[in-house]
Amino acid sequence: MAYLTTYQYYENDGNLPLDANWGSYQYVSLQDIVNNFMLMYAGNHSLVNNEERYKILFHAKRAIQELNYDAFKEIKILELSVCDTLRYVLPHDYVNWVRISMYKDGILRPLTENIQTNWSKAYLQDNDCRILFDQDKNILEPKYSGIDYDRITGSKKSIYLNQGSPFNGMEGYYYDGLWYFDYEIGARFGLNTETANFNPTFKIDKKAGVINFSSGMSGQLCILEYVSDGMEGGDNSLITVNKLFEDYMYAYIEYSILNSKLGVQEYIINRARKRKGSLLRNAKIRLSNIHPGRLLMNMRGKDKWLK
Amino acid sequence: MINSVRNTVLSILNKNNYGYISPSDFNLFAKQAQMDIFEDYFYQYNYQINKENARQSGTGFADIKKQYEEVIDTFSLTNFLYHSNSNRFFVPNQLTTGDDYFLLNKVLVYTRLLASGTNNVLGVGTLQDTTTDFQSAGVQVGDIVGNTTTNKTAYVSNVTTTILTLVSIDGTSANIFTALNNGYVIYDDGVVTEAEKVTHSKITMLNNSILTAPSTMFPAYTQESTILSIFPVSINTVGAVQCQYIRYPKDPKWTYVNLFGGEPSFDQSQPDYQDFELPLEDEPTLILKILQYAGMSIREISAVQFAQATEQKNDMDEK
Repeated sequence: MAYLTTYQYYENDGNLPLDANWGSYQYVSLQDIVNNFMLMYAGNHSLVNNEERYKILFHAKRAIQELNYDAFKEIKILELSVCDTLRYVLPHDYVNWVRISMYKDGILRPLTENIQTNWSKAYLQDNDCRILFDQDKNILEPKYSGIDYDRITGSKKSIYLNQGSPFNGMEGYYYDGLWYFDYEIGARFGLNTETANFNPTFKIDKKAGVINFSSGMSGQLCILEYVSDGMEGGDNSLITVNKLFEDYMYAYIEYSILNSKLGVQEYIINRARKRKGSLLRNAKIRLSNIHPGRLLMNMRGKDKWLK
Repeated sequence: MINSVRNTVLSILNKNNYGYISPSDFNLFAKQAQMDIFEDYFYQYNYQINKENARQSGTGFADIKKQYEEVIDTFSLTNFLYHSNSNRFFVPNQLTTGDDYFLLNKVLVYTRLLASGTNNVLGVGTLQDTTTDFQSAGVQVGDIVGNTTTNKTAYVSNVTTTILTLVSIDGTSANIFTALNNGYVIYDDGVVTEAEKVTHSKITMLNNSILTAPSTMFPAYTQESTILSIFPVSINTVGAVQCQYIRYPKDPKWTYVNLFGGEPSFDQSQPDYQDFELPLEDEPTLILKILQYAGMSIREISAVQFAQATEQKNDMDEK
């Protein structure tokens, strides 16, 4: 692929969308990776020879997937509204979440993952607790389990100090300069900081592909930060790799091929493995972008006095 | 070269005047000999690569591999493949590309379709369609035009709004639209990718693989009989698939005019005349090989043995 002219970069040659090439110089395409590897690292006089291109493509994509899970730090962000089903369907390219926040009153409030479950599957049962089946011997299920129903209708209590807390809204009375509450004696000895959060909570049902929220999330905006595997819905033309990882990609492919090939000496495999490992470290350090200017504001935090 | 080869063979064989072989016999032996040497080039090429890997080969004038490459490249051709149906194309053959192939070296796929339609005006060496704006479609000089009705292809040499001027690969005018309502496709010559040969034992799994299924960026092909199937199946028109291949050498033919004094006289002006296509350096090998066949033909075992021994010595010298 040829380099872009500045007009192509900024204006996409006048074609829509105009921003198609913005930031593209940071990346190298999958096609370039495979092409360069076949050209430079495979052949009659190379360690890798007579390997099918689809194997190179496979290892290249596997490397990109692995890098996307952590090293790339390519976080995708999706904002969706949570309606009264208290459900947020995971994005089509979702692999794992990084942070889930509620956007309210102009502030992003990070949500806490509930340490308990807030959803369940259920089977219909009779009075003797026997499970019920239909005429085709398929098990009968209710639309909502009890815990789901309570959560959606807002009657489920929460161990978190939010609006579902059993103590939320409890009235006290003010007498002689002091506040008094009708708590049961011995019921509350102190604050459990693990659950001391006012915001709604969530729990992810991975197989169902949804995030289930507590009732306080109804009608709120949810912002999901997540990682994907970089496969871009199977469109090879959109798959890219940060240039800082380009050399690592070649090393990974070479190692993977050599490692699975019969008759390759162990010292050659080890050499390839070490090269791959060191290049990954280098790329991670470069991508972390640690420099004094960035650290300055963080370091200023040390001057704050704790009270 | 063919006359010189024949004369030498006849001279060697001509002991006691019983070493004569007829022109038709000579042509048969010549064909066999040329094919032997042609095929041997690929084995020798591989041998030289192995020598290079073992650091037993040199560069410059000592680069033997390069010499072999140059000879093999003289048999290289690049042609568009004729479309059969769906994603199936004919391999190069006498009826389509005009020659049989020895080895399909590279299959290229053009993936960016710029325009398609049918021609509605006739003009020699042109494609004309008044319903399409070729310039707006992005058609440029050098792009590929395929006639989907006749399976012919050509290159664009000039573009106007509704008329494309077409040329062959050698730059001569290409008159591939000789009737109205022929279908056409136009591919961007700058967007090309190489298809990978995949065995039948792998192609089904490859097509089912989510990571490595053939795509327009990484196409694949399989071969069955005279048909080449390209994947993904969306690659399905003439002009989309081009092949670089090594053809067989043409059959040598020593042609002559009517007998003169009992001897056929060499005449290379005959329409079916065909010289050897191998380089001059192969003349001794050709002679020795033909000599072996001819020696067997006339039951002259000493001629066969002489030729075999000399050939073996030459082979050893060239290792």
